[in-house]
Amino acid sequence: MAKRIALAQLSSCWGCDQALVDLHLKLLDVLPELDIVYWPAVVDFKMKDLEALPKGSIHIGMVEGSCRTNEDVHLLKVMREKSKILVAWGSCSAYGGVQGLGNQWSLKELLDRKFMEADTITDPRIPDKYLPGFTEVVQANPDIVPFEVALPGCPPTSDNTLEALSALISGSPYDLPDKTVCDQCPKVREDKHITEFHRTHEGKIDPEKCLLDQGYLCLGFATIGLCGAQCPTVNTPCKGCFGPPPSIKDHGAKIISALGAIADMDPEELKEAFPDPIGSFYFTDYGASYLSKIKEKQRRSGK
Amino acid sequence: MTDERVIRIEPVTRLEGHGELTIELTKTGKVKDVKFHVSSTRFFEKFLENRFAEEAARIAPRICGICPEPHHLAAVKAVEAAWKVTPPPAATKLRRLLINAKQYSSHALHFFALAAPDFLVGPFAEPAARNVVNVIKSLPDVGKMALKVMEFGQDLAAAVGGKAIHPVTATPGGMLNPFSEEKRDEFLERIVETKERTLKTVDLAKKVVQDYWEPVTQLAVVDTYYLGLHDKGKLEIYDGNLRVMDPKGKIVEDFNPRDYKKYYGEYVPEHSYATHIYYKPVGYPKGIWRANSLARINVADKMATPIAQEALKEMRDALGRPIHATFAYHWARIIELVQAIEEMEDLLKDPDIVSTDVKLSDVEPRKGEGVGCVEAPRGTLIHNYWTDEKGMITKANLVVATNNNIAGIEKSLVEAAKQIFEKKAHEGMKLPDPMIK
Repeated sequence: MAKRIALAQLSSCWGCDQALVDLHLKLLDVLPELDIVYWPAVVDFKMKDLEALPKGSIHIGMVEGSCRTNEDVHLLKVMREKSKILVAWGSCSAYGGVQGLGNQWSLKELLDRKFMEADTITDPRIPDKYLPGFTEVVQANPDIVPFEVALPGCPPTSDNTLEALSALISGSPYDLPDKTVCDQCPKVREDKHITEFHRTHEGKIDPEKCLLDQGYLCLGFATIGLCGAQCPTVNTPCKGCFGPPPSIKDHGAKIISALGAIADMDPEELKEAFPDPIGSFYFTDYGASYLSKIKEKQRRSGK
Repeated sequence: MTDERVIRIEPVTRLEGHGELTIELTKTGKVKDVKFHVSSTRFFEKFLENRFAEEAARIAPRICGICPEPHHLAAVKAVEAAWKVTPPPAATKLRRLLINAKQYSSHALHFFALAAPDFLVGPFAEPAARNVVNVIKSLPDVGKMALKVMEFGQDLAAAVGGKAIHPVTATPGGMLNPFSEEKRDEFLERIVETKERTLKTVDLAKKVVQDYWEPVTQLAVVDTYYLGLHDKGKLEIYDGNLRVMDPKGKIVEDFNPRDYKKYYGEYVPEHSYATHIYYKPVGYPKGIWRANSLARINVADKMATPIAQEALKEMRDALGRPIHATFAYHWARIIELVQAIEEMEDLLKDPDIVSTDVKLSDVEPRKGEGVGCVEAPRGTLIHNYWTDEKGMITKANLVVATNNNIAGIEKSLVEAAKQIFEKKAHEGMKLPDPMIK
């Protein structure tokens, strides 16, 4: 019997949906196994249709995106209530996503920049009619409601999603591998003696050699190996968009401590090389970090 | 009818993004207003601040997973403009290949997955039946063709960009990865069949337009301004000047995108988190413009490639210029689909496409301001960054494609709502038997 599936989009880029569609002909094998009860990107069911479903009646609930609006929070809670297995699909859902970087500022600062101060705005105002309003901070969805499964990635590859869905359809568990991007990377690694970091526009990149060995900040060593090392394979440093392997709790903290060991540089030099540690080390998971949580606590207590 | 009525559609479906609709009717059943709400936004303009400017090309694609390539390239072009860097010619050709691959897959996705169900299953079918999953099940030949067409564009985008969703290879001064001869040969082989499928898609689109001629030419026809890139009058999506056409069809502006602030206004409505971009010199709402395929086709004198040009001629013979019919966007999209496949073929045949001279090695960050402009599938996209002497972003202004269309969408919805609720236009219109029953 086909499994009932719902795919819900909270605030996000919808790239996880595109990755699912990018299964292309392989979709023909998966679709007959699924009875889609909610997927606004593709199917015309409305919110009230989802709300009308009995509790626990959805076999697989895929939640993409994170909660930037109060409507997102509502949809997340409805999905939790209706789904037997809830999947944090993509890095926004699992870790807050790139929009978690917004947590460096207060909501008011974010709103003012966009609606009051942007260069081309001619009628500044904060829109509020028939609109849901925003959450104060972006969090990882599993910090808001419990999830059964996480499938991070920005986005998870088409095959990642296929593998997870196939497991869940057949009733098998889906666990994340405790390996890193380096384990999947074809480039040749040597002993590291990094004395200087380069930015991607600098220098010529040797396509055979490990990017980190060449002094480009490639985060493969601290990032879960799910993606097939797509970026380093094309001479582009890993930015860590899939988040850490399951055994690492805080991605950025791990990267910072590892860099201290990998680079033959003193802390001052490292600080100089990375003037934006949050953007460099917490690309899609700042919302899930201890640092963001501490900052938010301080902001709330008025410090 | 005795009371005022409010119809809420939550969410608007088969849309990339978060949209809702409110239709307000008076006691006598007249349409008072239609509001299109974009109900989410994530504040990229703010959190791009204080980042390495070359990282904008990694961060900004996350604005849209359906069209990340235009964001990737607008970001890198803006930083290159700020740093006064010109990438090697072969890098520019690779970027053109990348943006055309995306244009192609996105237009195919839009046509087959978002729009076609309305026409193939019919506007009065059960909502549960009106989707691409049903199209794939009921018309497996069309479904398979749709999937193969989309696959070609996404695969080529991944081959050039490293990943199709959130490409990574463009960096200030060029491309981090050259295109291999093996890949070039693979895609040159695949493009033969893909081109045939593209021409079949054109035939399908033409049949749909003919079958639905009355709604296409009569429903939601609204006069607006139009905005789009061109290169000496030819339709262009990577680099060029911007034209603005007025509702009568006169080109009223033709400017370098770096001067966009003079022509662009962003009106902030009370009821949407997406701003309404408009033609500033005439004010809002008079200056509401539309972008995307139909707008590009309106402002361009001709297409850049021969088969697409024939297709444009056929459309103009039928509908003239400018075309205000909102449903003609679908037809225009298919003409652009043809230009994209022709441009990809030309680029793949160009020996430079496998050049290894695709990246400068002496790029220096500097303090400056730069504008990067490309055409995303949904319309003109502008990234504008200010950087300090270390090449960190100090300020960002992003004027994104879809926001050029929100006011126009609302205007067409008001018109369509009046036609449907007040004049019952849908009851008298000639509609074909749906292909899927």
